Amino acid sequence: MAFTGNFMCTSFKQELLQGVHNLTLSTGNAFKMALYTNSASFTAATTAYTTGNEVTGTGYSAGGDALTNVTPTNTGTTAFAEFGDLTWSTSTITARGALIYNDTAAGDPTLVVLDFGSDKSSSAGDFSVVMPTYNATSALIRIA
Amino acid sequence: MLTPELGMSNDFKVEVATTQNRGFTPEEIAHRCADRIIAISDRADPVLQQQAYAFKNEMERVIADYMRQAISSDRTTVYNALLEAGNPELAELIRRL
Repeated sequence: MAFTGNFMCTSFKQELLQGVHNLTLSTGNAFKMALYTNSASFTAATTAYTTGNEVTGTGYSAGGDALTNVTPTNTGTTAFAEFGDLTWSTSTITARGALIYNDTAAGDPTLVVLDFGSDKSSSAGDFSVVMPTYNATSALIRIA
Repeated sequence: MLTPELGMSNDFKVEVATTQNRGFTPEEIAHRCADRIIAISDRADPVLQQQAYAFKNEMERVIADYMRQAISSDRTTVYNALLEAGNPELAELIRRL
């Protein structure tokens, strides 16, 4: 049981075709990021947010924190979307990875699994997840 | 003509930045901010690349400077809020930060 890499959830791809997710800023759905310990085991087959093996600690609440949507755009033939960076301030937590999920849609369906590569810890400090550059080659969610 | 394939990749990477017993400094956040605003291609013309890096460094310096001003101004607001709430010692502690 451990994180084994980043994954775009297969159910998310299907749900995009079903119109479940709207990533537009302000008028779109509400998305959240939840943090997990390395006891969690997520893959492309992960479909929904779970409380199992979720991080506990000062400055962190179950369910995680809200993300700020960045309205999808495109360059050339690639469309892409992302979220703003997220920080848990004055926190004492250790996390190995995260799930991004749709808090508006029924059943809290997941979009992506994030593997931090190793345990990351904050101690009476800040824990920031920094999103990749927002362009057609690096953005978190890209459809080419 | 129909596009033969639509692809979504697992080829994405987030970074995690943490601190121990402190918050991020304006310089640390300004660096992330500049990274977010401007991306410089490894394949760009070397002269343009050099100009772009110089511009990015200057942007980072300006962002950090204004962040320090914002922090200082916010501490003034907090100082006055604490003073009005009858906590002059706490207010002074904030002012001296």
